Amino acid sequence: MSSMGIEAIGAATSGLSSLQLPGAPTVGATDTALTAGQAQAPTGPQGPSGDFGNLLIKSLDSVEAMGDKASNLSVQAATGDLNAIHDYTIAATEAQVATQLTVAVRNKAVDAFNEIMRMSV
Amino acid sequence: MGDAFEMLRIANTGLGAHQTWLDSLGGNIANVNTVRSTSQSAFQASFVVFAPRADGGVDVAGVAHSSAQGRLVSMPDSPLADANGYVRAPDIDMASEMSQLIMAQRGYQSSVQVTKTAQDTYNSALSIGEGR
Repeated sequence: MSSMGIEAIGAATSGLSSLQLPGAPTVGATDTALTAGQAQAPTGPQGPSGDFGNLLIKSLDSVEAMGDKASNLSVQAATGDLNAIHDYTIAATEAQVATQLTVAVRNKAVDAFNEIMRMSV
Repeated sequence: MGDAFEMLRIANTGLGAHQTWLDSLGGNIANVNTVRSTSQSAFQASFVVFAPRADGGVDVAGVAHSSAQGRLVSMPDSPLADANGYVRAPDIDMASEMSQLIMAQRGYQSSVQVTKTAQDTYNSALSIGEGR
């Protein structure tokens, strides 16, 4: 799942986060351009993807698990096997909020990527 | 401490515990007129005991029961009555059961309110940075 898109997004967000946290050791290409004095070789998109790409994939897995749980409980509700109504409603709420969060993170990442791509060199 | 949905999980334990309480109260009230012969033990009302969970929230620690002695009631016409005309009625205080019913319902509703607040909180967190 480590596609080029996610890696590129990871590289872009890493570059942005370095602007907010100047003390943090970052390896993004834009960061090395800013700190011109240091001999810090850009490691390319592979380095930052370990952070953001893996985080995104992990959160996608957990969102999928929440969705599975909610749909299992909805089947139980339909078949009359549901012990407690709130079990389903809470699982559905969790899945909903987690999906919204993933979409928000994706939108932010795409925004950051587009921002970098618009940058005039 | 826990994950992002800790508030929802804790509210879920509250809902579960209060549902158990409501179930138990329903059983007690349903059996308020359940009489038995004096040779048998009376219907024992159940009392749900709550306990805090180590990882947050509430849990049903156990269920206590009222006395098996019950109350001896004179019901000479009952087919269950003994030679002296007595039957064994459960030792249930109806006023207390009804009060507890309201408390359990309020507790359940409060936990539902927590889930609503949790969802509102998550939604407002998601809206951070929106609307440029």
